[in-house]
Amino acid sequence: MAVELHTQVATLEEIEPSCLEPYDAVYLGHPYCGRYPGNLLVDHGALREAIQRLRGLGKRAYLSTPAAPATPELPAVREVVAAAVAAGIDAVEAHNLGVIHMLAREFPGLELHAGCFANVYTHLGALELKRYGVTRITPNFELSLDEIDYLKEATGLEVTLWLHGKIPLGITRDCFLLAYGECPAVCREDFWLRHRDWVLKCIGTVVLSGQDLCMAEHLGDLLGRGYRIFCIGTLTEAPAYRREVGRIYREALEGLAAGAKVAAGPFLGRLAAHNPHGFCNGYFFGKSGRDYVGAAVPG
Amino acid sequence: MVELLAPGGNMAMVRAVLDAGADAVYVGPRGWSRRAAAFEMDDDTLKACIAYVHARGKKIRAAFNTLPAGREIPLFSEELGRLVEWGIDGVILTDIGCIAAARRAFPDLPIHASVGCNIVNGADYAFYRELGVTQIVADCKLPFEELKAIKEAGVGVEVLIHATTCFTYIGQCWMSSFTRQVREIDARGKDHFRGSPNRGGVCYRLCLLPWQLGLVGRVVADGVVLRNDAFFLVDEIPDYIRLGVDTLKIQGREYSPGLIGAIVAFYRELVDAYLADPAGWRPQVWHERLRSLRQRRDAERGARTAELQGEGLGQRCTA
Repeated sequence: MAVELHTQVATLEEIEPSCLEPYDAVYLGHPYCGRYPGNLLVDHGALREAIQRLRGLGKRAYLSTPAAPATPELPAVREVVAAAVAAGIDAVEAHNLGVIHMLAREFPGLELHAGCFANVYTHLGALELKRYGVTRITPNFELSLDEIDYLKEATGLEVTLWLHGKIPLGITRDCFLLAYGECPAVCREDFWLRHRDWVLKCIGTVVLSGQDLCMAEHLGDLLGRGYRIFCIGTLTEAPAYRREVGRIYREALEGLAAGAKVAAGPFLGRLAAHNPHGFCNGYFFGKSGRDYVGAAVPG
Repeated sequence: MVELLAPGGNMAMVRAVLDAGADAVYVGPRGWSRRAAAFEMDDDTLKACIAYVHARGKKIRAAFNTLPAGREIPLFSEELGRLVEWGIDGVILTDIGCIAAARRAFPDLPIHASVGCNIVNGADYAFYRELGVTQIVADCKLPFEELKAIKEAGVGVEVLIHATTCFTYIGQCWMSSFTRQVREIDARGKDHFRGSPNRGGVCYRLCLLPWQLGLVGRVVADGVVLRNDAFFLVDEIPDYIRLGVDTLKIQGREYSPGLIGAIVAFYRELVDAYLADPAGWRPQVWHERLRSLRQRRDAERGARTAELQGEGLGQRCTA
């Protein structure tokens, strides 16, 4: 199975060829806020255009759906999926189990991916989702690599591993930032929450880790374990982040595929330039999420 | 008749809540529920507790409301089997794989979908009903109309009347384990995932720390708290009863038995007073009576929060 490196894009203006050049596929839409300006989940015309542009770039297009839609929002979910299917979407990602149930019934044959908020922790849970047409899962971030190995072996499902990016740590119904500014401009600001040495990034209805998850040092191990589908989390990140972080991992993956010995040090230095708060990857190794496991901890 | 369900963090609390008028109690098998081990029960205690509750003519449910590791599923099945053999009246589950396994193994066992399932819409109700769930614990953020929709979907509905509303959706947050997680495997092979409430450990309540909110190079606000409110419901209870809500649930296994007993007694009286005279029932008197209970609850919650935050930030680590 070939490697797939994918990322996330919330708006049409982010479909920028140079920024997406390192990626094989893109998840379209902001799943955490329907009011995010330009959200492809709301603007169906822009969504169709985005899918066409990705096709033109030779990339697969996936649709991400709202993570926790209320009942009155379900018709809009149905409509955006119908628009995406008509435009030739390759698969649809759902975080909400009800949405998976609904799409399985209403769009038979549609390839479904279970997102990071679907709370996939056990192989039995994943097998239940498989019955509904789910072909790919993103295991919950709390799982260790050993647990994910077990999940993969026991289900035969495709497994997405995040290689880099700020980990979504929690979703909320109400936008936290509305107390500090007006919608929709406020979440375009770069807000941080800090308590002593602990930093979080807040983008309104989702709290992200301040540190970047970083698996650059462990790429060879991940490939050796049989993983081939990798995500760089870039939702709401600047274009340069999406482009440069993607390039670094693409370069490393190509080097490993060619059988080269890839030294992580230079990659880490380049990655560190994109986030002053450092790296983490502890969950993958059975530790606290904010821990970092690796030989070369960047300063 | 609506059921009043109370927490049983230990045997003293089980006795207190039944004395106070609870119809049913829920307990956590050690390592399998969203509470610290000190507020869960080992097998010997569980067996004795089931017998005790049944001798009092009441019901008891077990909360396996966590998301375990895949390799722990056989342990889950064994533990569930023991509890069923001892006569447990139902279980509260979160993981959909565990729900499906429990339904296959015990077709007649009542299964309640935990609030940690984050069930928020009509499609969710259909999904969980199809999975074999008999009752849904409604998310604290669900509007009243959604409770009706759950009933109309043909599933029982359970409402939290004393609980906390997390900053995030419950079950959709791992801020605690991101900060501090200790993997502790016991003699049976069960990992207690300390720091991960989703997986059965404690939540370090770090959302309640005073945060500094800033933009690059500028502090916007100090002492920001990510809201996580504890609440008592009063005004809504007549509506719930008229709607046909099956269970009114009181959370609080980590509070003292005395406080939880008093909260149960309060709600027992409130519900009975309403049922005896719906037209004459007025909420004001109950709000007044709540004041002292709220003070006691806030004091205990504050102390526990400080203890948990200290542990979460690594100041100390207690069993």
